[in-house]
This record gives sequence, C-alpha cells and structure tokens, in this order.
Amino acid sequence: MTTNGETARVLVIPCSGIGKVHGLISREATYEITDNLAQANADTMCLALLVMGDEEALSKIRSSHCITIDGCPKYCAQKNVELAGGQVAESIMVAEAFKNHRGAQPGTATKLTEDGWLVVREIAEGLSDRVQDLCGCEGEH
Amino acid sequence: MADETLKVGIISCSGEEIPEGTISRLATRRVLELLRAGQTVTLCLPLFLAGGEGERAFAREHPTIAVDGCGKLCAKRGTEMHSGPVSASIVVSEILGDCPSGCGRSTKGTTDADKEAIWVVSERIAAEVDAILSSSTDCCTSDGDDNASCACSKPLPGMQIEVNGRPVTIAGLGLIFDHLAENGLEADDACGDKLLETVRIYHDIRPSEEQGYRSALVSAYKAYRR
Repeated sequence: MTTNGETARVLVIPCSGIGKVHGLISREATYEITDNLAQANADTMCLALLVMGDEEALSKIRSSHCITIDGCPKYCAQKNVELAGGQVAESIMVAEAFKNHRGAQPGTATKLTEDGWLVVREIAEGLSDRVQDLCGCEGEH
Repeated sequence: MADETLKVGIISCSGEEIPEGTISRLATRRVLELLRAGQTVTLCLPLFLAGGEGERAFAREHPTIAVDGCGKLCAKRGTEMHSGPVSASIVVSEILGDCPSGCGRSTKGTTDADKEAIWVVSERIAAEVDAILSSSTDCCTSDGDDNASCACSKPLPGMQIEVNGRPVTIAGLGLIFDHLAENGLEADDACGDKLLETVRIYHDIRPSEEQGYRSALVSAYKAYRR
C-alpha cells in the first residue's frame, strides 16, 4: 500500500488487554517490532483511538497493511481494525505462542518474567519477518 | 454468600502510541493489585467499546473512573458514550506535564522516571477511589458473581502464606516482593523486619501476630526468590 507514492508503514496493533499477562505480551511484542526489529517499516496505533472513530486514525488504518496481536479469543484488535475498514494481513493470538512453551510462567499483566520475554521475542521475530514481506511485496508491484 | 462491597470501576486508555498510555495502564494495575485491591475492578477498553450489553453495563453498575493518557480522552468519551457518566476523569498528561519525556512505552528496562510517574498517577486514582467510596451510600453494589466485568478483569488474587498454622491471603504480595527485590532486599533470615514493615502498609497485622507474620513472610520471600 502506498501513500503519496511512498510505501506506508505496516501498522502493528495489539489489544493491550489489561486483565491478563497475554495483553502485556501483545503490547511488548508490538514495541519489540516497532522500536527494534522493524523500526523503519512498522508503527503502532492506539486501538482505543481507532475504536472511537478518530478520522486521522481511520484514514491511516485504511491505507496501511495491518498486523493485529490479540491476547484472548475475543480478538478485540483484529475485529476493531476490520470494523474500521482496515486490512488485516496477519492476525495472531498470544495464547497460540504458548503451545511450544508448556508450563511456562510468563508473569503478570504488569510484569513479564524471562519466560514472558521469551514469548515476546518469538512473536516479534515471526511478525517482523511478515512486516518485511509486506513491505517487500509492495516494492515488487 | 454475596459480597455487598461497592466496587469502583477503572477504565484505562492504555494508548499504545505514547508513554502516557503505558503509565495509565500500569497505574491502573497498581491500584487494582495493590493500593485498592478488592475495592476496584476493570475492563479492557477495546472490549468495552466494541462489546455487548454485558460490557456496556459496566459503568452503570460501577461508579467509574476514566484514566486517559492524553487529551483525546478515549476512555472518558467512550465510557460516557456507551455506558453513562464517569464519576471521575484522570488525564495523565495533565498530571505529569512534560515529565513523561523521560518515560518509555515498553516495560523493558523500566526507569526511575517510569516508576515515579506510575506512582504519582496511581496515588491519584486511589484518592479518587477513596473519594467515591466515602461519598457513596447505597449506590451500585456488586456480588461475588460480577456480571459487569469480564472474567479477566478481576484484581489479581493475593498470595497465600501460613501464619501460625492459619492460611492468610495478602493482596499484591508478589508485587511487594518484586519491589523489595528490586531495591536489594536479600532473601535471608535478616529480611523479616523489612518484609513486615512493608506488608503492614497494605495488610492489617496485629501486634500479637507480628512474629507469626515475620516468619511466614521470610519463608515465602525465600521461596519466591528461589
């Protein structure tokens, strides 16, 4: 996707669920992508701002590829991006990432343990590859 | 048996784009887990905004405090649009001014500036909770099966220790342990006084029970740090 001829950054949007550790993992995985692994090609957006119908947020979401990270099966991030007219190129749920980490103790909704940060890194690494794919594909079109 | 305790709802914006969103989220958690555990409940804002009648009933069944990171007031406006007037509105950027410039969005490598900001905002929220509870008489009550909050929004359960053979649950004990560990408290036999001094700020300990609590807390802290 492009804006004024420039490739738009991929928007990574977490649910940030406040009740469980999975919400914090979704949030931290997002920052790992936008601030470290894919800094040049990814950005995030306040989910609540989008849900409240902010015009600037709506415009941005409709002109970008989106990746959503949800903590629980309610899929608040994915559903709200889709309701706002955004295209979700990739959607993951944090609980899925725990399938390879049976018995892991990831921490709380406030603070992650080493196990929690390990899951954050795994999610972020997988999705940052996807960010590069999305940006690379645009270049070829 | 129904718990007739009035609970105050706290809805935080959690704004992902700015440090103030992280501060609002963590300050809210601190109130839920530590400062006013058992007196407060929360709900994920996106779930509330996009949810059904169960979620929308939240602010009708609880006096609600909106905690927003910035002047866009998503938490306050969203709550009032869908559920009813909020009892109080807190805006992190108004409380902290330029201070969040030293704060980060991620909890990785939390700095003293982050901790200070979270502390200041959480104390403000707790003060609003107290004001609401002290001014309330017979408005909203909630029972043990709280339909107005989702299952994941309950305050974290406390940690249980055994004091003189009796199980005792202390709300937020894990957080207290984390805080003391970060401040260098060694998990040895000399840590009892500091543990007791800190825990009694949040949990009533009678003088006659001090020794039992001290020994139970030392054992629990050692196990926690192992």
